[in-house]
Amino acid sequence: MDEAQVPPQLSFFERLKDYVRFNDNDSALLLDFFPVVEPHVTPIVDDFYEAILTHEDARKAITGGADQVNRLKNTLKDWLRELMKGPHDESYFDKRARIGRMHVRIALPQEYMFTAINRIRVRLLSLVYENLIGDPPRSHRTATALEKILDLELAIMLETYRESLLSANRAAERLATIGQFATGIGHELRNPLGVVESSVFLLRQRLGLQDGAGDPKVVKHIDRIASEVRRANKTITDLLELARNRPPSRQSTLATTVVELGVSAANLPETIKVAQDIDPGLHVSVDAGQMAQVFSNLFINASQAMGGQGTITVSAKAVGNKTEFRVHDEGPGVALDVAHRIFEPLFTTKAKGTGIGLSLCRRILEAHEGTIGLAPRTSHETSGATFVVLV
Amino acid sequence: MVPNNSHRRILVVDDHTELAENLAEILDGEGYLAAVAESAEAALARVPVDEFHALITDFRLPGKSGPELITALHQLGYGFPSLVVSAFTDPQTIAQAHEAGANAVLPKPVDIKALLAALQQVLETGADAALIKQRPAHS
Repeated sequence: MDEAQVPPQLSFFERLKDYVRFNDNDSALLLDFFPVVEPHVTPIVDDFYEAILTHEDARKAITGGADQVNRLKNTLKDWLRELMKGPHDESYFDKRARIGRMHVRIALPQEYMFTAINRIRVRLLSLVYENLIGDPPRSHRTATALEKILDLELAIMLETYRESLLSANRAAERLATIGQFATGIGHELRNPLGVVESSVFLLRQRLGLQDGAGDPKVVKHIDRIASEVRRANKTITDLLELARNRPPSRQSTLATTVVELGVSAANLPETIKVAQDIDPGLHVSVDAGQMAQVFSNLFINASQAMGGQGTITVSAKAVGNKTEFRVHDEGPGVALDVAHRIFEPLFTTKAKGTGIGLSLCRRILEAHEGTIGLAPRTSHETSGATFVVLV
Repeated sequence: MVPNNSHRRILVVDDHTELAENLAEILDGEGYLAAVAESAEAALARVPVDEFHALITDFRLPGKSGPELITALHQLGYGFPSLVVSAFTDPQTIAQAHEAGANAVLPKPVDIKALLAALQQVLETGADAALIKQRPAHS
């Protein structure tokens, strides 16, 4: 086909429809057949989730329990009705793409998305064959229309998976750039800080400020310079750690120890309590230093979300050969419209945030072949955010 | 109390002159006689003039690096111990410094007390003993 003949203004969806030759006749055939499908919508959807929930790997994408399943079932029923009724226009495409992105967000592996659509395909086609048995030409055309629209659905879903992959790549590139900057600037700042530090050392000697001697006001300011230099050095160390992307050196460690290391690194205010619900014998094979960084970042965020007051609850349980940690706070929770971006480097909702904390968490977990995510809020939770770490 | 470090000459090499001078001043305060060079090349020009008992050098220098300076000194027959300070403390950097013959590697920012302790140790135990002690177990 001569590409020059294709008008350049065709949208992604129009090009797809053009490719599978899906047209208004197909839409009309599906609409005609809808009354037959309608009574079967609920059983088809129930069967669909039955298949996911009885499958060990596919089930992992559902973290919100029965409430989430019910919500998802209702979404799928609407999806199925719209599939048949159309109109198969741009707003249809936008809506389908949003649903696809939701599957990406809950990390449903694409192979299950594929096989799940096929389960629906089989059910719908058998309805066609059973009900249009007396009208072979119409049966054939309706079946073909169904095949085409379901292929379009798959293509849209795959496009959303591709979008997510591209966004992850951009995030990785961004982090690499930040890494180069951070390494350069970090090392450049080490030297001036080293001069300040050693000058403070010399000043203490020259002014006879050792062992509590000397003018208290001079001592106070010398101490301030020294402690602020230490703080600046710590910031540089954190940045360099992010930039280095060190592979984890795993060791079997008690889950409680990892959490406690995180608590002590977070340096939380006394008004924040960390409650642990962790089997004292539970071991995890992780880089304890890196995982402590993950938990300290989650605890610092939780503490800030709660305004420096309240309880952070950490639980852990074995899931297959991994361990699932849940960190729950009593803050306002994460707004839905930003939830999918919070792990992106340099993305922050805080006035004084750097957007490094959660992206460092994600990077550390990826290096551990684990995951970190925000759990959907369950109906009995009126507030708060729950982060789920699988490692 | 000033420790009995007199007559111990220490050469401090860092292209960040202020840092080298501060370190030298701190060493002088501890009773050492410290001299400053801002590059490996300047250090190599300085060693025939004065006798030194130890070297403290930055890892990264314009021209020859700290480890290259240590290798060059050894090739010229100078046997005094050396300490490398480095802003990079990844295993490769540390291994590189030890392979060149550094007796100890200290991270930047330099903890002054740790540096003074390490210096005293390499001066007292001698280069060879310190060399074995400070090397990674696998080498």
